[in-house]
Amino acid sequence: MSQIRNFITFILSRPGAAFGLALLLLQVVAIVFAPLLATHAPTEADPLASLQPPSGAHWLGTDVSGMDIYSRIIYATRVNLLISIVAVAVAFVIGVPVGLVVGYYRGWASTFVMRVFDFIQSFPVFVLGMALVSVMGQEIWNVAIVLAVLFVPIFARLIRAEALSLRDRPFIAAARCSGATDGQIMFRHILPNALTPAIVQISISIGMAILLTAGLSFIGAGVRMPLPEWGLMVSVGSQQMILGVWWVALFPGLAIVFSVLSFALMADALRDYVDPRRERA
Amino acid sequence: MEMHDRKPLLETRDLSVAFGDKTVLHGVSLQLRPDEVLGIVGETGAGKSVLARALIDLLPGKGRISGGTVQIGGHELRQMSAGELRQLRGGGVALIGTDAKSLLDPVRPVGEQVADVLRAHKGLSAGAAHDAAVSLFAKVGIVDPEKRAQAYPHQLSGGMAQRVIIAMALIAEPRVILADDATLGLDATIQVQVLDLLVTRCREAGMGAIIITHDLGIVARYCDRVAIMREGRIVEEGATAGFLNHPATAYGAELLASARARPAPMVRSGRAQQPAKAPALLEVVNLVKHFPTSSGHVVKAVDDVSFAVPRGETLALVGESGSGKTTVGQCLVRLLGSDSGRVQFDERDILTLPDRDFRPLRRNIQMVFQEPYVALNPRWTVARLIAEPLALDPTMSSRTARKARVLEMLDLVRLPARLAETYPHALTAGEQKRVGMARALATRPDFVVFDEPTTALDIRVRAQIIDLVRELQREMHLATLFITHDLNSVRSLAHNVAVMRHGKIVETGETERIFANPQHDYTRMLLGAELPIERYAA
Repeated sequence: MSQIRNFITFILSRPGAAFGLALLLLQVVAIVFAPLLATHAPTEADPLASLQPPSGAHWLGTDVSGMDIYSRIIYATRVNLLISIVAVAVAFVIGVPVGLVVGYYRGWASTFVMRVFDFIQSFPVFVLGMALVSVMGQEIWNVAIVLAVLFVPIFARLIRAEALSLRDRPFIAAARCSGATDGQIMFRHILPNALTPAIVQISISIGMAILLTAGLSFIGAGVRMPLPEWGLMVSVGSQQMILGVWWVALFPGLAIVFSVLSFALMADALRDYVDPRRERA
Repeated sequence: MEMHDRKPLLETRDLSVAFGDKTVLHGVSLQLRPDEVLGIVGETGAGKSVLARALIDLLPGKGRISGGTVQIGGHELRQMSAGELRQLRGGGVALIGTDAKSLLDPVRPVGEQVADVLRAHKGLSAGAAHDAAVSLFAKVGIVDPEKRAQAYPHQLSGGMAQRVIIAMALIAEPRVILADDATLGLDATIQVQVLDLLVTRCREAGMGAIIITHDLGIVARYCDRVAIMREGRIVEEGATAGFLNHPATAYGAELLASARARPAPMVRSGRAQQPAKAPALLEVVNLVKHFPTSSGHVVKAVDDVSFAVPRGETLALVGESGSGKTTVGQCLVRLLGSDSGRVQFDERDILTLPDRDFRPLRRNIQMVFQEPYVALNPRWTVARLIAEPLALDPTMSSRTARKARVLEMLDLVRLPARLAETYPHALTAGEQKRVGMARALATRPDFVVFDEPTTALDIRVRAQIIDLVRELQREMHLATLFITHDLNSVRSLAHNVAVMRHGKIVETGETERIFANPQHDYTRMLLGAELPIERYAA
């Protein structure tokens, strides 16, 4: 608990990190209090109020179907963060143990797993996303699965790299002499020492996931209308951009920017916080 | 002597250095005269390296000279311009640091790097500087200098790289050489060669040298005067001979006492009472371990080695780095597989046992690791670390029994019980070493491998650890294999000695006999490279 308090104090002492935390809290508020904050239902279409510029009735204007952009942005926070957090959580839970085992045991099986990861990571993200979503269907869970598949190699590689260097450290030999089994060495000795970069990566990956979700929706491989999702909103709005209707695409675009920024700033702060070179008070 | 009349090469008066608000050097006053070798001795944290860095105005980070003066060749360091300081470093005063390889640029040939110094200070052309570098390489004992000058740092051995650094320091003919633990980590035979060479070259050229070390043997052999540092102050200073015979301060006397060998090891563990044919607790027969390298070459790390360790006795396995002594230890505790041979422990061959059957035996065969800190999981508390091997002991299944054993072990290695809940990084090196020993001894093993237990420790801490091992030998009736290159500790601890070189044991015998009457040339060479202070003090 005091760790968390220390971390908060650390964040507040740095303007960038404090800004990131503020943005993050804003998103939490949007998720929890969406029904109270929204002025309209997020999927309520009003053909008579199509493409209204920002006004007192529609704070950020309306889109082509007359849906309130402000309310949709608020509700989309739920969708975007849900997809991202689920995807990253799944990737973490699978990638970390896989990376640990692959890093600890060297051999043809480990090499094979790494080649599979190479294959996933060398595949163009959007092509892979479109292929998977077109097979499985445009559901938010499928988007989350696509992202998790993309992120598993990232976590596995990070943990593997740490495990590779840790497994030859003297304290592992000492543990073996103390009678530790392979499983104990992996999970009690190596894992706690290998986890730091992966924890920093969580925040970076959530930011990436938000961007990729939006990207997939933008190219039509993500979720479908009328579900409120930032990337999809930008996609719909982009068609009117050329006509001077700027608000439909701009505001959800800004939401993406600030959301990704918040997680990137938190990742930076986290990395600095766990850096052993930082002098602990 | 007339040298006392000459002006000092380097003189500090009340020199103080601070990092931020924290003063780490307090009013240090020193003189170095031409032709003189001054030793500066102190333990970790005494401020020796900070002093060396301050003398060439290269303090790291937030360090700054906060008071006093540094006069070099009659000029005040603190009034020099950036250009003058650049000329001073390398040109007037040259610093030789520890770990030569990390001081060299890994992507450039070493000859070029040495020539750079000449080009910077004397404005020589690249060709002339290169020729000068090559001829100096020959003078500092680098074989085949022309070819070595083309080598990259990773292609050189530690001793060779240290010679390159010495050439780099000497080439611009500075007036003062600062050697900051310049031979730390080198083998004793190489250390003697390197220091002999450095001191000879300095004397030839009439330079002054400051040798910073924690090894009083080096001071005894090479230095005219010695200054003892402690906590940023010089506590005592004087002629070396005078210091060795009559240290002026209690601290100096304590350091000297720590550097001395303990009286010969305790009474032999009753070999007289034991029936002559009693089998040894551990017997190694024709042990072989080869490492194939990627180039298809085979390194014969352990090449047909045999020895025996009776119950309650200590065998010291001595040799230089690369002799294969640590590999032997790792084969015994099965951290490495062996290629062939037998290891009989308590009349069972432990090399042929499957892992599952060997694991319970680890209770009786333990190892204390070389580096105190890195052998402890940084995220585990001391109590958890010490308790880990107790999982091998079925009588230790209850929490309270384990806790009691942990406290008992802390007490055994003379650590306070309050350290049980701390993490390794909060301990001193000596305390970390003790935790490593407590952990190895927790299951009350019959046999322990000590791998270099005294390296990387300060003078006094090393003496404490040696005393502790002596007590443990007596109290626990331990049989130990003591792997080391520190002959001083061998004298104090071992009943028998086996000398190892290139994977083979070249000589074995009782400790007194080996030291008094070495038979093999290599043993004689090892003993000759040792710098015991007893040889110099009355």
